Amino acid sequence: MILKRTIPLLIVLGIGVLAFMQDYVPHPWSSAFRNEMTTWTMVIGGFAMFLGVYSLSHMHITKIRRKMPGWGYSIFVFIGAIGMIAAYIFSDSIGALSAGTKDEMSLYDWGYNYILIPCSATVFSILAFYMASAAFRTFRARNLAAGLLLAAAIIVMFGRVPVGETVSGWLFNDRMVIPNLSKAIMDYPNLAAKRGIMLGIALGAISQSMRILLGIERSYMGGGD
Amino acid sequence: MTTNQNRPRHYELVRRIIYVFIALAVIVSYFYHPKQDFSPWIEVRKVYDKVESLSPGDHLFISIDYDPSSEAELYPMCLSLLRHCFKKGVIPIVMTPWPTSVGIAKKGCDEAVDDANSMFGKKVVSGKDYVFLGFRPGVQNLILKMGDNLKGAFDKDYYGQSTQGMEALAGVSSLRDIKLLVDLAAMGTVELWIAYGTDRAGIPMATGTTAVMTPDLYPFYQSNQLIGFLGGLRGAADYEKLLKIPGRGERGMPAQSATHVLILLLILGANIRMFAGRFLRKKEGLS
Repeated sequence: MILKRTIPLLIVLGIGVLAFMQDYVPHPWSSAFRNEMTTWTMVIGGFAMFLGVYSLSHMHITKIRRKMPGWGYSIFVFIGAIGMIAAYIFSDSIGALSAGTKDEMSLYDWGYNYILIPCSATVFSILAFYMASAAFRTFRARNLAAGLLLAAAIIVMFGRVPVGETVSGWLFNDRMVIPNLSKAIMDYPNLAAKRGIMLGIALGAISQSMRILLGIERSYMGGGD
Repeated sequence: MTTNQNRPRHYELVRRIIYVFIALAVIVSYFYHPKQDFSPWIEVRKVYDKVESLSPGDHLFISIDYDPSSEAELYPMCLSLLRHCFKKGVIPIVMTPWPTSVGIAKKGCDEAVDDANSMFGKKVVSGKDYVFLGFRPGVQNLILKMGDNLKGAFDKDYYGQSTQGMEALAGVSSLRDIKLLVDLAAMGTVELWIAYGTDRAGIPMATGTTAVMTPDLYPFYQSNQLIGFLGGLRGAADYEKLLKIPGRGERGMPAQSATHVLILLLILGANIRMFAGRFLRKKEGLS
């Protein structure tokens, strides 16, 4: 019990209080402590990547071994990962076994620029199609609140693109009415709502941090209590 | 599964028609690219003016907090900022706290260096006129570390050159020595940079974000924690217009305009149909 619960809780409390206090203590020891802790966390962050690679590999190896639905796609995970790692190691320019100059495009750069970037950008751009379809099916002025939301969305969408300025010029005698309305919506109602949400999140984060430091919230230690 | 079976028969057809219209709107307007006139937003102009006010030899820090999926919106911003720096003789320091962003950051640096040679006739050299520091893990801890000791956080640049004694980093020991920090972000890093980086170091900050993230920036902009921001592809286009070097931002504006107009027409059409249906049902009920 002491090893599993008391000591970890004391470490969290001690380090947490010290990390909190270093902002208010203008002493060289305080900044030295911060410097040391940030180095530690950067090193731990580096090792966390190995954990991620292990977790990903384990999940996909299990899928392939059990021939679970879609297991064929898991093979591509390994082809992509091993291919890019090999390309980096045997890279002509900057890899671990490098021989060339940095001005040359390496095999790794080629894979990144001509496979990863287009594929990622394509997947992300597909969102435009889904959004258009979803907007058509669901964006209805069924009541007053939905109507107001719809009106605000139309003004903002139209006011944020050049065609909105052109149409505004035609309709309102060269005055930027639609873009200005769009800006007013972003500057006031949007800002007020966002600030309220952010303050709420910040207060929640403070209370959660206090609960963790004081040992009230222990779910991060596992065990579900 | 049941949702698909319960959908009306015309549902799939309508969905596909919408997809075809969106594809046509993007393709036709991208290749036809009619000239569109627009005035840069004030938020973008403030960023441009700040970079313009920097002197040759000043340092501008760029954090690449986006990966290839957001390349369409944020890469043109990165390119314009770097071009502006090289044009002015400002020294950009580029880094990323994300392993998947290293390639896109390097691509931006390489392209801007080539542009500096061809556009401004300047021979830009790594380690002298700019620094690409590459990747380190840790995000907020990395930011804190750079606030204390930048060369301690990055002892070498991406190409393996030692940062100690590097000509481009002369006079820079921490974030406090940076004249402007720009976070190009598609992830929730803007708050981290403000809380752990620029507010502590007391330096001005600007951002370039995806369009969906832009509404989140207004509270920081109003409180002057951000001097300005570039929002989405329009922000990139505005910066290109101010810099007078056209790029992918401006080129994408007709496609974005066409898509927005099409989505608006679809929404209006669907609402008109809904109200017409309600009116007819009411009329039938009365008669």
